Amino acid sequence: MSKREHLLKIGVSGIRGVVGEFLTPSLACAFAQAFGSYVGRGTVVVGRDTRASGPMLQHAVTCGLLAAGCEVIDVGVLPTPTLQVYVSATGALGGISLTASHNPPEYNALKLFNGQGQFFNQYEREELLDLYHQSDFQQAINSQIGGVRQVLDQAPRLHLDRVLRHVDAARIRGCGFRVALDGVNGAGSVMTPRFLREDLGCALHAISVDPTQPFPREAEPKPETLGALAQLVTETKSQVGFAQDPDGDRLAVADENGHVLDNDDVLALAVEAALARLPGDVVVNLTTSSAIDDIAAKHGRKVIRTKVGEANVVEAMQQVGAAIGGEGSNGGIIFPAVHLCRDSFTGMAFLLDLMASTGKTMSALARELPRYYRRFGAVMFEHGKLGDLMLQLEERFAGAEMDRMDGLKIRLPEGWIHVRASNTEPLLRIAVEASAESDAEALYRSVTLLNSNRE
Amino acid sequence: MTRMLRISPVGVRGVVGTGLTAQHVLDFSTAFGTFLETGAPVLVARDPRASSTMVREGVVAGLMACGHEVIDLGVAGTPVIQHTIRRTGAAGGVSIGASHNSADWNALKFLGRDGVYLSTLEANELLDIYHLRKFNLVEWGAIGKLWAETGAIDAYIDTLAATFDLPALRGFRVVVDCCNGTSALILRRLNERFGFSFILINEKLGSVAFAHEPATTRDMVNLQLAPLMRPLNADAGFLFDIDSDRVAIASEEGEAISEEMILPLLADYFLPRHSGKLVITNLSTTALLEEVASKHGGTVLRVPVGRQAAIDAIAAHRPEQVALAGEGTGAVMLPQFRFVYDGIASMLALLSMLLERGQTLSRIVESYPRFRILKGQVPLVTKRIPALLNALREQYADGRANTLDGLRVDWPDHWLHVRVSQTEPIIRVICEARGAAPVALFNGLMETVRSFA
Repeated sequence: MSKREHLLKIGVSGIRGVVGEFLTPSLACAFAQAFGSYVGRGTVVVGRDTRASGPMLQHAVTCGLLAAGCEVIDVGVLPTPTLQVYVSATGALGGISLTASHNPPEYNALKLFNGQGQFFNQYEREELLDLYHQSDFQQAINSQIGGVRQVLDQAPRLHLDRVLRHVDAARIRGCGFRVALDGVNGAGSVMTPRFLREDLGCALHAISVDPTQPFPREAEPKPETLGALAQLVTETKSQVGFAQDPDGDRLAVADENGHVLDNDDVLALAVEAALARLPGDVVVNLTTSSAIDDIAAKHGRKVIRTKVGEANVVEAMQQVGAAIGGEGSNGGIIFPAVHLCRDSFTGMAFLLDLMASTGKTMSALARELPRYYRRFGAVMFEHGKLGDLMLQLEERFAGAEMDRMDGLKIRLPEGWIHVRASNTEPLLRIAVEASAESDAEALYRSVTLLNSNRE
Repeated sequence: MTRMLRISPVGVRGVVGTGLTAQHVLDFSTAFGTFLETGAPVLVARDPRASSTMVREGVVAGLMACGHEVIDLGVAGTPVIQHTIRRTGAAGGVSIGASHNSADWNALKFLGRDGVYLSTLEANELLDIYHLRKFNLVEWGAIGKLWAETGAIDAYIDTLAATFDLPALRGFRVVVDCCNGTSALILRRLNERFGFSFILINEKLGSVAFAHEPATTRDMVNLQLAPLMRPLNADAGFLFDIDSDRVAIASEEGEAISEEMILPLLADYFLPRHSGKLVITNLSTTALLEEVASKHGGTVLRVPVGRQAAIDAIAAHRPEQVALAGEGTGAVMLPQFRFVYDGIASMLALLSMLLERGQTLSRIVESYPRFRILKGQVPLVTKRIPALLNALREQYADGRANTLDGLRVDWPDHWLHVRVSQTEPIIRVICEARGAAPVALFNGLMETVRSFA
């Protein structure tokens, strides 16, 4: 498979690629015009993260939307969840966030939202893609062409006020937490410092909160990339550290020792906070930790599992009216009472609220979570051999409970294995969890060995 | 077949939605971004049409994607962006707007260094890039940035003030029909800064409709401007198209003066002031020009109709050789303005002429030998054009034929010109004679042309 194929992807999730030769302004414009034709002649909200390609693509997208006869509201640099909340609150017909989320800076993408500020369902997304491929666009004539209106100050307040309704903000402010923040110079930079300082009364030590500067670290907030945050936490003796991704939907958390928590544990803490406040079940993907099941059981709630992917989790949450949901491994917390989307702001508020209500340190809160050992990885597989590999796994663990909803999840007494093929590369993603560290290691090895034995 | 899109060396022009789409805009601006050298900014200005906002977004995206810094002048006429390119040393610019076309049209005019239109050679290169779709899209870190500039109109007026004695012209009572176009922005500032008392009609910028067809023709002058002249006791009246590059005039008596007169008037004013003695015009423009030119020892070079031929002819001469260039549509290029069509400069030159002569506009116009011009048009049937031209050549074999652009036939006191429009699917028919109107010639000619339609 040539490298080029990964540089641009046009599919049911929209359009994503390396800006320049691959993701061109022309493509972005055409896709936006397809989108505008799909949602109809009304208002569409457009915002972006802080990537250097953002303004250029925003002009291309605006061109396509105007050509389809839409009115455009330009919200400028704005976190994706904030844009989603704004779309849902303003009666717009849809929204486009220009962000490649946790991908490196050379990438960009169009995240598309409906009038509720949510992802389109699978069937709608297919319909939109067909519209794009048919070039079947609404072509507005001069008298039907709308304008562009810049609204830069309303959306953050709207979003943050919704978040504050679900925590005891006064109690948090009363604690005067020392908080460290790594904003990756992303879209969160325009509102997170104000949120933590002014709304939640924290003594904030922030780095990388300049939206005009490039990403200072890998965009995905995970333990390996958050050395600077860990250092900031210890240097400033902060009680907790937060890190966002460029479009502010994902959150990573460091405890007071500068130790970056597993994203599964962050989600578990948020679930704990949410279930203590609201009725409803929990929705997570197949790869998310069993800790969620234990917490839900404690509160007498159910856990519904979905395929991997934010859209899948959101769709299931909507169906069951879940209280909270998310995807452990990628730092996504979805709390529908604020909005049905991944939201780092809700995550930060929940964790501070938990610290305030329990009086416990972040490390203590994490320590008290049900303890599981996890191992994640990926192995390359030969094209066309994926089926063989899956069959061998099924044979190897014959008799175990198998779930084939998304790849293969094997539930065993000591833990579980989840393997699924990447959508974009000949990679088999492996996730393993067990109550004992040695079991997790053994399960992981059993999958990788199978793959190497075949060769 | 109704043509709604025209892609040619002159640029891209079409009816928005049905002809000109966002994809054309993106592809063309990316091609232009590829064509231009990086290093200096590229300017963008637009007319007030609603669709110009859409086109602007696409143009900005395409230029930025090719690594250009983009400076947006907002709503401003073509002469203003051309002036600003020159003033700021920009690499080039895009003027968005369909000037004299109706509101549902739009167009992209591509301008090179110094604000001049692209030569045919350059324009063809741009077209080749567009058709090949091999664009220089830069990687993410090199993508250009966008800035806005608001002082362009004032800086342009500063140059007008350096060229014309503006305070001396303040005394004229002038009515202007802005036709809801960009001229209003300039004229308002002239009123504010220099104490002019231009009376503006149709001065509100138009996004979806204009007060009337924005053509600089006698018919349009007669519509609203000419009837106001006497009641307002005005010395002169001017009508501009949407992007202010063309002008038409009304006399103090309320008469629409032929658009053909503007170039001879300006030639008469500028030839004695300029070392260059060459006047460049097209084959369809009045023969009065030759008489005026010879009076000042000047010569007239006639080229095919269209801006492109005039640009190429100017480029083929040293600037100091050329006194002025233009066509019988009210579009005139002056050397002081480095040969861009500029209706505002033409207006100020005409007012300067009034001041110098101390005569009324109608008196000045009456002082020239009288030529009568008749113009007609017939819808086009493309495949029969060569046969038509051959038939006409035989029918008028007694005159001197010129086939540079369609067919022009000259006799000592009259001439005819039959050609295919570059922008509309029609055949244009023009006859002119000294003295009385050449009605018989015109009718005979139209009859032959119609028989081929």
